[in-house]
Amino acid sequence: MADKRKRRRADSDSDDESARLPFKNRLKSDAAILSILKTLTEATKSASTSKTLTLSDLNLSSTCREVTDLALSSVQTEIQTLAISLAKSILAGNGFSFSVPSRAATNQLYVPELDRIVLKDKSSIRPYASVSTVRKTTITTRILSLIHQLSLKNIHVTKRDLFYTDVKLFQDQTQSDAVLDDVSCILGCTRSSLNVVAAEKGVVVGRLIFSDNGDMIDCTKMGIGGKAIPPNIDRVGDMQSDALFILLVEKDAAYMRLAEDRFYNRFPCIIVTAKGQPDVATRLFLRKMKMELKLPVLALVDSDPYGLKILSVYGCGSKNMSYDSANLTTPDIKWLGIRPSDLDKYKIPEQCRLAMTEQDIKTGKDLLEEDFVKKNPGWVEELNLMVKTKQKAEIQALSTFGFQYLSEVYLPLKLQQQDWL
Amino acid sequence: MDSGESSEESPVQTKKGKSKTPRKPKTSVLKQKSPAEFFAENKNIAGFDNPGKSLYTTVRELVENALDSAESIAELPFVEVTIEEINRSKFNSMIGLIDRERIDEALYGDFETAKAREKRLAKEARFQEAQAKNAALGKKVKEPTAKAIKGRGEASFYRVTCKDNGRGMPHDDIPNMFGRVLSGTKYGLKQTRGKFGLGAKMALIWSKMSTGLPIEISSSMKSQNYTSFCRLDIDIHRNIPHIHLHEKRDDKEKWHGAEIQVVIEGNWTTYRSKILHYMRQMAVITPYAQFMFRFVSETSDKNVSIRFARRTDVMPAVPLETKYHPSAVDLLLIKRLIGETSKPHLLQFLQHEFVNIGKSHAERLIGEMGADFSSKTPVKSLTSQQIVRIHQLFRQAKFDDPSGDCLSPAGEYNLRLGIIKELNPDMVATYTASAQVFEGHPFIVEAGVSLGGKDVKQGLNIFRFANRIPLLFEQGADVVTRTAMKRINWNSYKINQTQDKIGVFVSIVSTKIPFKGTGKEYIGDDISEIASAVKTSIKQCCTQLKSKIVKKIQAREQQERKRNLTRYIGDATGAIYGILKEASQLHANKKKRLEITDEDAELLQKVSSRLITKEILSEKLAQHVEQVDYEMAMEYATQSGVREEPRENVYLQSLEPQKNYMDFHTPIFVFRLFQ
Repeated sequence: MADKRKRRRADSDSDDESARLPFKNRLKSDAAILSILKTLTEATKSASTSKTLTLSDLNLSSTCREVTDLALSSVQTEIQTLAISLAKSILAGNGFSFSVPSRAATNQLYVPELDRIVLKDKSSIRPYASVSTVRKTTITTRILSLIHQLSLKNIHVTKRDLFYTDVKLFQDQTQSDAVLDDVSCILGCTRSSLNVVAAEKGVVVGRLIFSDNGDMIDCTKMGIGGKAIPPNIDRVGDMQSDALFILLVEKDAAYMRLAEDRFYNRFPCIIVTAKGQPDVATRLFLRKMKMELKLPVLALVDSDPYGLKILSVYGCGSKNMSYDSANLTTPDIKWLGIRPSDLDKYKIPEQCRLAMTEQDIKTGKDLLEEDFVKKNPGWVEELNLMVKTKQKAEIQALSTFGFQYLSEVYLPLKLQQQDWL
Repeated sequence: MDSGESSEESPVQTKKGKSKTPRKPKTSVLKQKSPAEFFAENKNIAGFDNPGKSLYTTVRELVENALDSAESIAELPFVEVTIEEINRSKFNSMIGLIDRERIDEALYGDFETAKAREKRLAKEARFQEAQAKNAALGKKVKEPTAKAIKGRGEASFYRVTCKDNGRGMPHDDIPNMFGRVLSGTKYGLKQTRGKFGLGAKMALIWSKMSTGLPIEISSSMKSQNYTSFCRLDIDIHRNIPHIHLHEKRDDKEKWHGAEIQVVIEGNWTTYRSKILHYMRQMAVITPYAQFMFRFVSETSDKNVSIRFARRTDVMPAVPLETKYHPSAVDLLLIKRLIGETSKPHLLQFLQHEFVNIGKSHAERLIGEMGADFSSKTPVKSLTSQQIVRIHQLFRQAKFDDPSGDCLSPAGEYNLRLGIIKELNPDMVATYTASAQVFEGHPFIVEAGVSLGGKDVKQGLNIFRFANRIPLLFEQGADVVTRTAMKRINWNSYKINQTQDKIGVFVSIVSTKIPFKGTGKEYIGDDISEIASAVKTSIKQCCTQLKSKIVKKIQAREQQERKRNLTRYIGDATGAIYGILKEASQLHANKKKRLEITDEDAELLQKVSSRLITKEILSEKLAQHVEQVDYEMAMEYATQSGVREEPRENVYLQSLEPQKNYMDFHTPIFVFRLFQ
């Protein structure tokens, strides 16, 4: 009996290292991995020289709607012209109404050539003299006049500020936020051109230097927390970087681990997270980095339908903001992990996997119907596997092998194997 | 292993180590227990758990018997229930016991020890101090809450009297009908309120256990010219009646029916609301009955007197006694039917003793039973094995479902009336599902859903009825509660489950209600046939209500449209005017002149010269709103037209026939003036 115990202990001692960090022995030297990454970066740089397509290239500009960045003065003029026409309509005794582009799901279109969602041209009339729309119409006029004031004074406010100017009328912030997007569509400009920003949400850390409102920011010297992504992209400029790729992280926790381990110093990269669903600023920032630095973007998200959904928002845009998808989407994002196939490949133990709920499975199946998933056969395969096994796992599941397993084994191995889709 | 102590007393037992009792138990004697004894010991089975519940159950059993009795002779029921509180001294004088003064005060449970007294006085002093303080500050003075100290021994006694206008009882049967447990007239297979013939007898057993006073019965039948009076109690050990007095008296008022009086221990304070709820719900499900409920006590402020008036003279048909469905019988029942049948041959037996077996069907069944069966096989000669074979075939063969004809649901009309009468709701919808079957017993589910009303609390108010009696206890596990709470999406019918006052009424009638538990208080949620029938019925009601609610919402929108449209005029025009004003100021500044058409420039000019103001914009918009409102009102009127609610018959209670009247005739109506 004692003999047996001894042997077992000896056994466990011998494979102790590999049991704690499985697959570590498969890792090549960092230099080898770096050379692999360099080829990827070169390939991306040469590929992205070709001009990006626009709606007019595809002859879709007549049936699809897109907004552009407008100068402050033209926003001002647009609003004034609109107000004058409203006043004329009222004076003529006809009341007034807005023609609001519909942002409903039926009015969305995925264009495979562009690899993003765009808004079709359907509009709905929002008359004042109707019980169902009177509130929204009033809120729209109020938001218009507030934006007009912003454009006169040339200042930025947050969505929250906007809401607090007339709490009684807006009632809750979702209402003023929704109308704000409507106003963008009506005026045909991006939300940033309205001088309304959302609070800071995204953060960036790593091998990136840029100027924020004239101040130079070095993201390697921002501590572990990193630099908050500025809400208005127009004050960001002069991007410089020696990174080989951009790592997009879904979760704050994984971001912190990578930042603390100075992952970007071992493999030169820029790490970005929006802590869940991305906000407009982070999406704009990512796109700007991708466009200016021409780096490959690798995504690290949870292995569940929502992870993929977040990935798709970065890549193809959200339905709510599809009118501005041209400015908000980052093409060619690679799905690095954690993918459903990784669960078995990296032997993630059963107790760290979660069973998918009914809702999860439904979301997964719905995603399988979406065009932006279908266009990538690799994604379809992974998603099918997820729905079939009915298992999901968060990035944190990797912590079973030690908190640093993510930065020390999983990511380097993934990069070495060029295991992205 | 307690051999040390008890070895000399019971050596046999110590070896087995079974008992620790030091005394040797009596050798077990085979004893027989009478049914009355059994129920006396297990009175909770019949709903006599404690004095309060016993009072409730007594009232309930008497009322249900009264209704059954009146309905059996198709007489509109009139039931009078009186509960009279009897205090101890009165009770003592009733049983001929002299009131005795307490001599040794400390002997009693409610004796106040010196310590407790000190405590109480201190508390009272504190209270008075606070009172004085409050009074000085001008606050409202609380009434001192005088808590009556009530000892355990202080039992309350009640005389429960229930008088009906039913069939009455044959003079000679009265003793057996009350003094013998498990004897009854309701044993056949039909929908009845009671089932086991327990109710009144249990009340008698309870009165014997708690007060020792006999039950008093007066009864008269239609054909009799006398009233039977009987005072009796029950010999519990022998399960036979013990008659004190049994005589015929003159029937002066030409009354028929029964009046039962029993004195029991009870608790009115705790079960008051249950009893009143019971009466109210009974009035809902039997609107054709008139109830008079009285509670009489020495302190007149506690007295209650409620009259539940009759609202209709339409009575549900008397439920018919039916035959068993082949899939509902067991071996014992088949044997009993064989014993009771008058048919000599198997074929006729099958054909006549069961429902849904026709002649040709019976022949096919007999052919299927095997070689040793034939149509002419004498029924009484069937062996046990053969009966088992018949039973097996009954289980496996396919039979048509029994029809619901033998059932007597309250009827949508009555249910509706009952709900309107007792709850006075804003809206009500009712639905009767077609008969369905559970284990060979047909059942019918009727449902009503009401919204609003008096004395209805917010949220779901559930009223359950089984065979037309209200179920009040164990609501949580009941199929109706579960269905209404969990499986109905009230929102989709524009009903707010927490805000609206929703009344849900479900009445289930069947030849056999599948009660759960001993108390016959709820129907389990595990019978999918009943659960789905309940769900569909409630949903049907909701669908009916939804259209009404939508119409109501539309009507309200009509009324509120103008107000809603007008409310935002200021905000909207203010915003537009604000932009215009700023634009006009910019425009006036030559350097920043806007590139706009002359027409627009003119408009801005008017704004700066105050020819166009916010007030003008508002006024114009208000005019527009007015016009739109008018158009929409016209449209609504033409669409909806002049709608009339479906008419309902009004039931006017008939007066006593009077001869002194005068008729005024007109071509259209007759006006009758009573004098």
